[in-house]
Amino acid sequence: MAELPFEPPPEPQRFDPSRVAGPTPASRSRETGPMTVSQLTGLIKRAIESGVPSTVNVIGEVSNVKRHGSGHLYLTLKDRFSELSCVMWRSDAQRLKFVLNDGMEVIATGGVEVFEKTGRYQLYIRKIEPRGVGALELAFRQLRERLAAEGLFDLERKKPVPRFPRRIVLITSPTGAAISDMIRTLTRRFPCLHILLFPVSVQGPAASGEIARAIRRVNTEHERFGGVDLIIVGRGGGSLEDLWAFNEEVVARAICESSIPIISGVGHETDVTIADLVADARAATPTAAAELAVPVRDELLATINTHGRRFARMAQRLREISRDGLNSVLRLATQRDPFLLIRRREQVLDEFASRLERALLNRLQFNRRRLAALDAIVQRIAPHRFVFRTGRALERVEHRLRLAIHLSANRCGMRLLETNSRLDRLSPVVRSIESTRRLDRAEDAVLAGIRDRLESLNQVLSVTERLLNAVSYKSVMARGYSITRLRRGSILLRSINEVRKGEHIATQLIDGKIESQIVSGSEPTLFEGP
Amino acid sequence: MSKKKLSFEDALKQLETIAEQIELGQIGLEESIEKYELGMALVKQCRDILSRAELRIEQLQEGESGKLVVKPLDLSNNKASEELE
Repeated sequence: MAELPFEPPPEPQRFDPSRVAGPTPASRSRETGPMTVSQLTGLIKRAIESGVPSTVNVIGEVSNVKRHGSGHLYLTLKDRFSELSCVMWRSDAQRLKFVLNDGMEVIATGGVEVFEKTGRYQLYIRKIEPRGVGALELAFRQLRERLAAEGLFDLERKKPVPRFPRRIVLITSPTGAAISDMIRTLTRRFPCLHILLFPVSVQGPAASGEIARAIRRVNTEHERFGGVDLIIVGRGGGSLEDLWAFNEEVVARAICESSIPIISGVGHETDVTIADLVADARAATPTAAAELAVPVRDELLATINTHGRRFARMAQRLREISRDGLNSVLRLATQRDPFLLIRRREQVLDEFASRLERALLNRLQFNRRRLAALDAIVQRIAPHRFVFRTGRALERVEHRLRLAIHLSANRCGMRLLETNSRLDRLSPVVRSIESTRRLDRAEDAVLAGIRDRLESLNQVLSVTERLLNAVSYKSVMARGYSITRLRRGSILLRSINEVRKGEHIATQLIDGKIESQIVSGSEPTLFEGP
Repeated sequence: MSKKKLSFEDALKQLETIAEQIELGQIGLEESIEKYELGMALVKQCRDILSRAELRIEQLQEGESGKLVVKPLDLSNNKASEELE
């Protein structure tokens, strides 16, 4: 609040020349001679300048505000009864924090002068204070309203503040408690940070420009020193005037335009500046800004280590799951029975084996039957019993034949068994096809073997047949031998004891049969010498 | 400094996501193993970032070229800074 001695507006009163301090008050009593306009104006000017205090504080309502291109400000102050035209030169108007609007109740401070050219007196205002509220307060409200209307405080406009900045720029004064507080807090919490101080003045007329410029420069140049994740702007506590730089529009615009997120920390808990409103994050104090900027490294490490432990636990569980999983896969596989295929192949092999067996048995039976037939023939060829050599030869042949057939059969049987056991040994699935082929080959080989054997046996048989023919009783009979049988039962007569006297016998010779009756008989003498 | 590796923030975020997924059993066995390995790598990376980066305090200053340069911190005019030294 401006420290103005409150002066009530002077009562409007009629002009009282005696109250005007003029250079020649005495001359007011008499009339003067003619004078020029400028002479009179000069007289008035001197009268006013000497009669009105050089500095007055005027209360009034603002109207007709005009800001001229030159920067000078023209306005009228009025109350119910009077109007006062006022001028504020550019140099003074620039210092005006708030925007002067019509209807505003103000206290204007300045001096009254006469503008001789137009013959008008004017209040030359050096300073204007709004009534009831401080100028800064008003300026703050006005700027806040304007920037809010522009959307500068909108949350959507704000950039996210990084959780883990690695490089921070502090835009603040290198003197004072704020910088030490911030560095101490940042260092304590996150001692793996790159802190860069951008020293600026934080109060006085140059401050807002320096702060805004610092923000812009960090934005345009930060890539050169490795990239900056975060900016903190701030200062310690002070009066509204002290903090004023942070309420300036240039600072607000710079913060808004920054592509690097900005945290503000200005003054004490209760101070809210425009910078706070426009910053991406707002902290009540510089220390709070530092706390907001970085996490506590030790807490972070603890969190990360917790994750590490969780992962270790998880790995343990994964191992268990894998084991269970493997088991269940095995269970599933068993249910599906992968050996079924193998068993099917085995079945095929078994079938081949029994077919082979049957084939061999059939052949054997066939051979046996032929052998039996041959045997029967041989049996029928009784004369061999008479013919010792022939008989012996026949026996040998027969023996050899039997032996040969047994041997052959055995060999076949052995090969069958061998094949069977080989089949048993075979790894089922992988070799089954090959086994089948080998089985086929084996079968062929066995059958061929049997065929060969049978063929050679057949040959032996025909030789034997020829031999038998050669030694047939007929050729013997041709040489004079005969066969004698008893008529009863047609029994072959081998001994004299087998026949009785008077009995009929039939004797077969080479060319026919004769019948005779036994007359007598005697011991070997019968055959003794012809 | 690691070239184009994950930022610490991304690494930690990913780490948290993975831990959550695995704990909730949202992912299959095979993926779990992958994620586990990734998670352990992230834990290591985060730890490395935090423990390797060292504290540096410097200040920016306008150099002769008119560009900003990094200089040692100078708080010699600051009474409050004495306790920092």
